[in-house]
Amino acid sequence: MLISYRNDLKPIADLAQSFAARELAGKTEEHDRYPFGEFYDHVLDKAHEVGFLGAILPDSLGGIGGDIGTLCVILQNICQVDGSLGGIIFTNALSQEIMLTAGATDLAGEIFPKATSPKEFLVAFPSYTDPAQTDTLPKAVGSGRNFTLTGRLEFLVMGNLARQAIIPARTGNGPSYSFFLVDVSANGVEKSDPIFSLGLHACPAVDITLQNVRARLVGNENGGHAVFEKASLKMNVAAAAMNAGIMKGSFNEALAYSRERFQGGRAIANWSELSMVLAGMSIKADVAEMCIAQACLGLAKSLDGGGSQYISSSIHIHELACEAVNDGIQILGGYGYMKDYGQEKRFRDSRMVQTLLGPAPMKKLAMIRRIVETGAKNI
Amino acid sequence: MLTSSEVASKLSRFPNFEDTWLGLSYAPHMPKHMVKETREVIAIARKFNEEVATPLALKIDRLAHEDPDYQPWDLMEEVNRWGFYTMWIPKLFGGKGYNMPSMSCFSEEIASACVGIMNVIGVHYLAVAGLISSGNTRLAKKILREVVEGERSGKPCTLVLATTEPGAGTDVEEVDLVDKGKVTCQAKQVKGGYIVNGTKVFISMGHVSSWTVLYAYEDTKHPSETTIGFVVKTGTKGFSFGSHENKMGQKVCPASVLIFEDCFIPDDQVLFSSALVKKFTNKPARDISQRYCDYVVSATRPGVCAFGIGVARGAFETALNYASTTCVNGRLLINQEWAQCMLAEMHKNVILGRLAYTEANNANSHRGLYRMLQIKPVYYYLKAMPRFWFDKVISPMLNWELTARVMGKILFDVPKPEDQRCCSGWASVAKITGTDLGVKNCQMAIEIMGQKGLRQDAGVEKMLRDIKLLQIYEGTNQLNRLNAFKCLIAPQVPQARVFED
Repeated sequence: MLISYRNDLKPIADLAQSFAARELAGKTEEHDRYPFGEFYDHVLDKAHEVGFLGAILPDSLGGIGGDIGTLCVILQNICQVDGSLGGIIFTNALSQEIMLTAGATDLAGEIFPKATSPKEFLVAFPSYTDPAQTDTLPKAVGSGRNFTLTGRLEFLVMGNLARQAIIPARTGNGPSYSFFLVDVSANGVEKSDPIFSLGLHACPAVDITLQNVRARLVGNENGGHAVFEKASLKMNVAAAAMNAGIMKGSFNEALAYSRERFQGGRAIANWSELSMVLAGMSIKADVAEMCIAQACLGLAKSLDGGGSQYISSSIHIHELACEAVNDGIQILGGYGYMKDYGQEKRFRDSRMVQTLLGPAPMKKLAMIRRIVETGAKNI
Repeated sequence: MLTSSEVASKLSRFPNFEDTWLGLSYAPHMPKHMVKETREVIAIARKFNEEVATPLALKIDRLAHEDPDYQPWDLMEEVNRWGFYTMWIPKLFGGKGYNMPSMSCFSEEIASACVGIMNVIGVHYLAVAGLISSGNTRLAKKILREVVEGERSGKPCTLVLATTEPGAGTDVEEVDLVDKGKVTCQAKQVKGGYIVNGTKVFISMGHVSSWTVLYAYEDTKHPSETTIGFVVKTGTKGFSFGSHENKMGQKVCPASVLIFEDCFIPDDQVLFSSALVKKFTNKPARDISQRYCDYVVSATRPGVCAFGIGVARGAFETALNYASTTCVNGRLLINQEWAQCMLAEMHKNVILGRLAYTEANNANSHRGLYRMLQIKPVYYYLKAMPRFWFDKVISPMLNWELTARVMGKILFDVPKPEDQRCCSGWASVAKITGTDLGVKNCQMAIEIMGQKGLRQDAGVEKMLRDIKLLQIYEGTNQLNRLNAFKCLIAPQVPQARVFED
């Protein structure tokens, strides 16, 4: 949908589609065995080579200089086949967006242009939370740009893959927090085994414990919330693009199966009850694509008044996706529940994606609170 | 005031009183002792959860992810030691004879800790239902006595039921569909028995069972009229297991592929066939197949509802515990109204689901498979008589041809079609309700818990993976909606046709 408005995105969309077909299709079950199977380093290497890990990073900082539309078409196409790689691309983009939004281009310049491997290019981030709503963040002590962090942080996405991480921490006793860049391979950092989670197994996360670990301030002290708010406006749309892709993948697989599977002497696509289920999935996938396209266009043009609409679209798309993937399994019946097909993975992955940037109820409450307090729809 | 005929006339209108307020109709007929027995069953289940299910649930789930060929032998031995494989086998057949509706309460309890573990127990009873509702008392006695002996010896003897085929899932659940479907599991009569060829898929606990209740077809082009049931012992020549299916959830309970290749099954292991049926009824074989199928699913679908509501309760309790101990934005979640309302909604779902399986069980108790055992004199007689009476006096009678004829008559000839529809329809309503609400509660729990809910060690993500299977097995919820329409709504609308879209 987005590429019909923006021809310039077609090459990257084609690249993402062919990458997914070549590197991911038919191997998702194998990749999804992590942490009980091998991690797909070779796929990550290739994703790095083609620039997916720096989609919204400027050329000057080692990225491909794309915008939110670029990131969304990559995520939509990748997640149609495998949400996990999408989770890695998303989290790295989120870390980059936090750094850029905070004005920390100097720190970004130290990391990305010099990186020669994914490990050096990846920056871990606790993607499943809004730090403002977390009462137990690490404590930061220091001044200027140099601090030390102590405490525990759960669910640091890519914490076991990346050398660096953006860590939210509090310098005082109040609710304000700041972002810090931390070398998570340094002494004083203790990592758990990869977390065994519902989905996105090949986008791993760890819990970390920090003990007086050197950290550099990203942006301003106590400015974390403002940076996160601004960055998440864009990144909520990116997360929604992931679920739009997952939903599309689920629909495509359900449609193909329903044409081939016969019950009661008819292709199940011809059972009107199942036709209704398929129609519901198709409608949800189309609505999601339209919302993503409009949100990307609005963000690219910095349109006034779109803020709450971007967030609303994102929340709505996640809800649609979680319903659609449930139906996606249902169409395949027992086969949909088995790992031989992609539907059960999409069912698990979509819930993970919905929780990116914080739990759905908290996102709703935060959105309406801003509207009530400011009286404005532009967040 | 109305005359009695006016009352009868008003109440016969849709929704018919008898088909609607089932609990009210059944209450005066229910043996009071069933309450005491059910209280005991729930207490035993809670003790089992504390000592076995809760400590093992997440551990086994993780183990089964690490080792895709995991088989629950140790757990089965534990379940056997607790006596659960004979608890709901009628005393006539050597079991403990607890009332059947109490199993739903038990299921809810165990499923609140782990529905996979409940399936390790419950799948056995799906096959027990298939065995008993065939009316073949001789075979039922033979197999169920082995189960009882397995409990005594400490070596579990469990049963599974095999119906689903690679090309026929929904089809084999409905007689109206099976003739149009593509069933392939064929039984060819030979001297002294049958040769069976075919494959069954998604058979929970297949690899670890001792006996399989198998359904095949003498003529795969006319399966509804030629359905034939067998009991087949694991290890029989020509009967083997294929791959261990790789499921999303319920990892503790393996799903198997069963392969029959020129498998000879002797005549004395035929459980159900059109030839046997003709001995006690003139009804068409197709109608008998439908009734048999209805008996099984009417008994088991309320159980699946209870499974679902158990998971719904587990999700609710996990979310409640999280909300009671977690601060968000400086305040305990439990003190935030939005969370209170979500928790209230989840609790409401549990209550509604419990009512649904209770009413479906009331239908079976009053007008279905359980009726015979729960008529007060029969119930108290079975409770009062000592075990040796059944072992020495009743048991030999179960081998009599006459007993099988009487049972067959009672099961297939006497019951009224409206009773059959009521039980089957309510079973479907319960199944849809319990499983959909179970999924809903798991989703809500994850929403409340945020990233914590995504972790396997927090429990609720496993519940979501586990519960999804319940919307699929025992007939997909789509099929169950059609069955509910067929049984409870279509009879009021003469022009309504089902499965003829």
